[in-house]
Amino acid sequence: MEVTRRDFLKYCGMSAGALGLSMFDLGLLNNALAADGAPSVIWLQGSSCNGCSISLLNRISDTAPKTVDDLLLNSIDLIFHPNVMGPAGSEAVEAIRATKSYILVLEGGVPTVYDGMACKVWSENGVDVSYAEAIRSLAPGAMKVICVGQCACFGGIPASGNNPTQIVSASSYTGLETINIAGCPAHPDWIVGTIAQLLIGNSVPLDEFGRPTSIFGETVHSNCPRLGKEKATTFAETGKCMMDLGCRGPFTYAPCPYMKWNNGVSWCINANGPCIGCTDPSYPTAEAFYSPLGLTSFYGKKNRK
Amino acid sequence: MATFTIIDPVTRIEGHMQVNVTIDAVDGVQQVVDAHVAGNLFRGFENLLVGREPTDAQHITQRICGVCPIPHAMAAVMTLDAVSKTKIPVNGLLMRNLVMGANFVESHILHFYLLSALDYIDGPAMRPWQSTWSIDRRFDTATTNVLIGHYLKAIEMKRKGQEAAAVFGGKQPHSPAYVPGGFTNVPTQEQITLFGQYADELIDFINNIYIPDAEALASVYDDYKDIGKGYGNLLSFGCFDEDVKGKHRLFSRGTVMDAHKKKPLAAAKITEHVKYGWYKASTSNINPSVGQTETEYPKDNAYSWLKSPRYMKAPMEVGPLARMWVNGDYTEGVSVMDRQLARAYEAKKIADAMKRWLGSVEVGNPVFVKTSIPMKGKGFGLTEAPRGALGHWLKLEGGKIAGYQVITPTCWNCSPRDDNNQLGPMEKALIGTPVQDPDKPVEVLRVVHSFDPCLDCAVHAMRAK
Repeated sequence: MEVTRRDFLKYCGMSAGALGLSMFDLGLLNNALAADGAPSVIWLQGSSCNGCSISLLNRISDTAPKTVDDLLLNSIDLIFHPNVMGPAGSEAVEAIRATKSYILVLEGGVPTVYDGMACKVWSENGVDVSYAEAIRSLAPGAMKVICVGQCACFGGIPASGNNPTQIVSASSYTGLETINIAGCPAHPDWIVGTIAQLLIGNSVPLDEFGRPTSIFGETVHSNCPRLGKEKATTFAETGKCMMDLGCRGPFTYAPCPYMKWNNGVSWCINANGPCIGCTDPSYPTAEAFYSPLGLTSFYGKKNRK
Repeated sequence: MATFTIIDPVTRIEGHMQVNVTIDAVDGVQQVVDAHVAGNLFRGFENLLVGREPTDAQHITQRICGVCPIPHAMAAVMTLDAVSKTKIPVNGLLMRNLVMGANFVESHILHFYLLSALDYIDGPAMRPWQSTWSIDRRFDTATTNVLIGHYLKAIEMKRKGQEAAAVFGGKQPHSPAYVPGGFTNVPTQEQITLFGQYADELIDFINNIYIPDAEALASVYDDYKDIGKGYGNLLSFGCFDEDVKGKHRLFSRGTVMDAHKKKPLAAAKITEHVKYGWYKASTSNINPSVGQTETEYPKDNAYSWLKSPRYMKAPMEVGPLARMWVNGDYTEGVSVMDRQLARAYEAKKIADAMKRWLGSVEVGNPVFVKTSIPMKGKGFGLTEAPRGALGHWLKLEGGKIAGYQVITPTCWNCSPRDDNNQLGPMEKALIGTPVQDPDKPVEVLRVVHSFDPCLDCAVHAMRAK
């Protein structure tokens, strides 16, 4: 569990290009991490599936730092995270209240139905506290607010359709300029890379939807290895373009084709799964995932009884 | 004097949940005498599926849970296969099993070390691990340090389990590869070799680290074989079909009442009660095939966003212990430590089966068959998630989803009281749990975590007046 700072830098160096870090930045990062007092991070979960936290745990390659605990031990001071923290109850909440300088990470949208009580995060002094209220009390004092995943950034799947719990994205609920790490889930490198930028003190250039342009600057389509290939007419056709199966690559901005997922093992299109557009603010649209053309060619309407 | 303690949130679980326990002395032993378990998050997934294309269900329902998305994908495509009377190719079945198997194994490893272990040992003496609830620690310092080392190794193994799933499934969490009719990824020899390497590593960890650690825990804390017993009613939908007709499964389907003999299961005998849930009373005690999700908040006496599924009116425990018991693999007992041990042994059984399935994959054979989903119809898919029985129920009208009901494992285990005022399985299991310090009821956490609830949990502890 030593040399984690060096390992962290090594990790950042490996993915520096994708994260928009220059060698100069890496030097600054080294200085930032060497300084006493690792920055505090408070991570709250709202109307989410916890998939972005699980994704974060996946973030390291075989090269050191091997596991996320190295980051936690030496790079940041994680004050609160519901899935991994040891403390429970008032001890956990008091740690939040005692923290004056922190980065606030939000995972999950904000249900507003029933005065926010469709999502309670803890109780304090005997009173139930909703996710909405926790954000109201913590966002204004944060050094920066990072929204992780589609639900926090844009509402995501729980906000789709008739939006049963009247979800508002955490990003808009704060009323602040947040950094939006899109994705369903967000990729671990996108999360860590953005935190690294903040540690250096860099400003993170954002697009009109609050997404870092260094990550979400190009479409999946423009980097797709199947671009211009023969079109698949049904599923499980390796190597073919899945435009007719509803692929959302042309309007989805994400680095999946070259960054891939799960330590570079694979990604959706490599498994013959059309891109479902999971980093786009419109996700999920009301249209079927396999539309517009996919349905007629795959689950042929004329065949349906 | 009565004291009142609030412990909220309880951490190291997924989702949002609250447990209220009343603690009092019985026969000179301070213990839990009453318990209320409440789910604190409502998202209404079932409602937002209505009107969508049926083939969207696997994508949408995976987002119910980022920890166990694959079983939701499995249940969704099994439901559509049933509605369309589709027999998928053997390779498709094996692909589905292998990706779900990897999800089970890494989820079990995650549970034992990241979610559960800190109830028994102190983590590294810094945030986010350090806690002052350092009560009833029985391992010596050297052993504790070894276990912390295993905790760190477990994060790596959990990640590798997710990578194994991604080899065939494309990515984890949330795979795009499950479709009605089979699977999208066409396996190559290279993929099979890579998956096999991951499986070998996982098996090595399970055999040489996870199982010995679970057995050591059960030995050092053997009083927890008498704590957290609950009803002893066990239910398993069964999972991991071994043939395309679904006749044989790695885990069989059935029920066990009061820890006795196995009986067959009839899905029609499942109903959901909502007397103590924030749902309209008119929607109570009905089968999920005709189930509705209509909220009512606030509501007198209600305390949870969970419904109360019951089987032939009985509260049922689900999970690895239920699966292993129904299948005849583990029948030692029902308790905190029996749950921990059954989960560890199950990880081995599944990981070994993964190697077998991998050897049956035929490169070049189809993984997918075209299927025709009817415009109108009904169907359901029953499978298992790492935490227990999972069912999806679908109603199609005009080619669109007209109704969708999901019963998750945690709904069974963490359900509130039912229409007949019977406690939910976890509520029942908490009764009688001895508590040293009501301000720091780590013993309550041990019972709660033994179920591996997929919720954020909050415990309110109060002493009886």
